[in-house]
Amino acid sequence: MNRVKTGIPGLDDMLRGGFLPQTANLVEGAPGTGKTTLGMQFIYHGIVACEEPGVILTFEEFPQQYYNDAASFGWDFRQMEQKGKLRIVMTSPEVSKADLEEVGGRIEQMVQKIGARRILIDSLSHFERLNRAPHQLRSVIYGFVNALKREGLTAVLTRENTALLGEMDGDDDGLPFIADSYILLRYVEIESRIQKALLVLKMRGSDHDKDIRQFEITARGIEVRAPFEGHEGLLSGSPHRMMDSFVQAFVRR
Amino acid sequence: MENGLDLTSRLMADMSPRLLKFLQTKVNSFVKWDLIRFFYDNPHTTDTAENIARYAGRSVETIRTELAELAQDGVLGESRLGDMIVYSLANDAQTYELLEEFVKASEDRQFRVKVIYHIIRGAR
Repeated sequence: MNRVKTGIPGLDDMLRGGFLPQTANLVEGAPGTGKTTLGMQFIYHGIVACEEPGVILTFEEFPQQYYNDAASFGWDFRQMEQKGKLRIVMTSPEVSKADLEEVGGRIEQMVQKIGARRILIDSLSHFERLNRAPHQLRSVIYGFVNALKREGLTAVLTRENTALLGEMDGDDDGLPFIADSYILLRYVEIESRIQKALLVLKMRGSDHDKDIRQFEITARGIEVRAPFEGHEGLLSGSPHRMMDSFVQAFVRR
Repeated sequence: MENGLDLTSRLMADMSPRLLKFLQTKVNSFVKWDLIRFFYDNPHTTDTAENIARYAGRSVETIRTELAELAQDGVLGESRLGDMIVYSLANDAQTYELLEEFVKASEDRQFRVKVIYHIIRGAR
């Protein structure tokens, strides 16, 4: 099956080769976990390795911020824009949604003009400004995501989660149901040190790795490493050694 | 008056005619100067006055008229999207080139002084 590679070492293996084409892929995590970096790397890899131009729709950050962040990994987004391989568009959820609903809207024209195949939406959390009621928000985002697919785009959609450790916010907006794949980025505390964990929770139409893996943001971007071993309760943010649980359950009794 | 030229004319004498015309006909307020800079930095932005105000850190009352005037002058495009009025950079390469020339020239302190003088004088 044809796959859309992210180019992120370790992640494509977890996804059994990459995302499925024309899918919406939700990346959720706390501030600083690397959601935007993951999305930028997906866009960058598409341009330099797959001849797939990309669009970044940002609802908060200025394009300059993306130029700077990308440059710190050695990715020249400004030059890519000049070469017509990338467009970074700062807009609002309401305008981009209305634009995509129009026949021949600006985003549609832009996608066609540069031949875009990938898009990063950063971030979906801003749609909450449009509608606070979860079922209405779900309907709005469902329409938005389908419009992206209609344009032939494979999308990475970021979503913020304010919980740094422990229980995640219980947003009842059903976004993980709308998304074709759902990647969770988390902080975990192991022996007084914060590490980052990545988990593919869902991938519609494909098998995927079920391990909770360590990842790091290096000078080259995100690199996904080996699964955490010997610990359980990682998603709680405060894992404990499996041996300790064993001792507690059996030996001390 | 010196050599038959008033102070303004002498101050602007070394500015390129194209840039001088742009300044005299399109940039008559500091808010417009800000907006021109904003759209130069964000050439693909299409948005409502409310959102552009938020991005620019201004109140919507402050920028609404200025956006409309920049659209009338052909620097911006104004269009209807559903029930919203949205603004974007005029869709022609010539306007972008002119904006680029203006923004680059604004990096020079002397040029900025001239623009400030022009705006203040026009506001009297």
